[in-house]
Amino acid sequence: MIATTALSKRYGEHLALDDVALRVPEGSVYGLAGRNGAGKTTLIGILAGLRRATSGEVRIDAPPERVAVLADAPRFDPWLTGREVVALAQQLTDPAGDIDGVLDQAGLTEAKTRRVGGYSRGMLQRLGVAAAIVGRPRLLLLDEPASALDPQGRREVLDLIARLRGTATVLFSSHILGDVQEVCDTVGVLDHGRLRFQGPLDELLVGAAGPRYEVRLRGPAEPVAEALRRHPWVTHVETGPERLTVGVTAMEYAEAELPGALAAADALVVSFGPEELTLERAFLALTR
Amino acid sequence: MSLWRLELLRLTRTRRGLALFTVYLLFGFIGPLTARYLNDLLELAGDDLEGATIELPDAVPHDGMAQYVANAMQVGLVVTVVVAAGSLALDAIPEMGAFLRTRVRSVWRLLLPRLVVTFGAIGLAFTLGALAAWYETWALLGGLRAGDVLPGIALGLLFLAYVVATTAAAAQWTKGVLSTVMVALLSLLVLPVVGAVDVIGQWLPSSLATALADLPADKHDLGHYVRPAAVTLVTTAVLIYVALVGARRREL
Repeated sequence: MIATTALSKRYGEHLALDDVALRVPEGSVYGLAGRNGAGKTTLIGILAGLRRATSGEVRIDAPPERVAVLADAPRFDPWLTGREVVALAQQLTDPAGDIDGVLDQAGLTEAKTRRVGGYSRGMLQRLGVAAAIVGRPRLLLLDEPASALDPQGRREVLDLIARLRGTATVLFSSHILGDVQEVCDTVGVLDHGRLRFQGPLDELLVGAAGPRYEVRLRGPAEPVAEALRRHPWVTHVETGPERLTVGVTAMEYAEAELPGALAAADALVVSFGPEELTLERAFLALTR
Repeated sequence: MSLWRLELLRLTRTRRGLALFTVYLLFGFIGPLTARYLNDLLELAGDDLEGATIELPDAVPHDGMAQYVANAMQVGLVVTVVVAAGSLALDAIPEMGAFLRTRVRSVWRLLLPRLVVTFGAIGLAFTLGALAAWYETWALLGGLRAGDVLPGIALGLLFLAYVVATTAAAAQWTKGVLSTVMVALLSLLVLPVVGAVDVIGQWLPSSLATALADLPADKHDLGHYVRPAAVTLVTTAVLIYVALVGARRREL
């Protein structure tokens, strides 16, 4: 759906995007993860046609009126009603779009006749999503759609995005990695303007960060860690208060060898199990 | 909900349209009234003038229109630029600008309704004010020839089209409504200064601004305005093109 080639953007001396080759598969919910200032908004701005690339190419397999964009903090003329905002988007994109249907989907049926100047931040965000989907877009570009919302507002917007799966290709940027992990099936990690990884989420979780085991102990952790570090299948051991995190070359080693190794180190084990693989850990491993 | 209706709502809901019509109609009614009763007003203020005597010639019909033009092209012009800037600054709310820009193939589709509706409202307000001034001049001071007033209104409208185009260009090359107003007003204020040199002045759009007062007063005939009208037409077209280029170039 989206393919960029050697895409770069420079603001004076600052290189905001550096040789980005983005590939967003049709029908995917693609999460663009990165810290604040990583270049996510610039990249989405270029894809949306709101900014010009310094060099490189962008190919989008959808006509402009079937591409919808949602800014991180949508604002509209405050004297318009919610329904008028969506009606305007509908008229410009798909006159057959169901205005009241998308407002209902966004939970704004009761507020739709009110002027948007009185809307809360969460309501504006949901109105932005409603205005984006009323044109039945083939591609949705969402820039940090939930980052600045309170937990309830975030939940509502994430649910709304999750419901879009199967109806459109979604490119969703966020610095909140939990949101990306929850909603997206494909991930791109942007760091200092460079795309460090892109591919299926599972591939990133397994590939970028090796398997690790969490061990809770009674008593000091350091002597046990020392004993474990001697084993060739242990890549690293991190210690905390009565806690160890053991990196292993493969889960099979941990399953077969770790109980014995702990017993041999006279460790008083309270519990142990594989550490849950999170996007956050994979992200940190990639961008460290 | 079309982009045309959006602009009509902008005029009505923000009360900018109300301000526009109030100002021009107010000047339309007050102008001839002031011209007719200025001597009386000065007589009433006689005790406060510390013995000084101000004698004005008796008011004649074209004084009524001259008063309207003087007000309309000063205070009215400021209001006009403010109203036009509020509409033509496409990206005054950048998120709204992005919302609209990402839904049209050409930014011209956004600019055209704003230019037409804004100029339509300004032109209508100016014309209604002029008609009010014409009527009241007839009632208080005597009639003015339609052959002078109607071309005067048309030339005034042409000047206002130039004002709207100037504001449109300023809006696309600056950020925000306030800076648009400042740049547009500054560029409009330069015209009379440059126009003080008579050889240049008779070519400039600013000479159209007073046509509604000067034609009834027989200061100039209609032929005098052919050159500035042609220059204004061309300049207006160029300014709209400059606005379009600016709107296309802008990054959000």
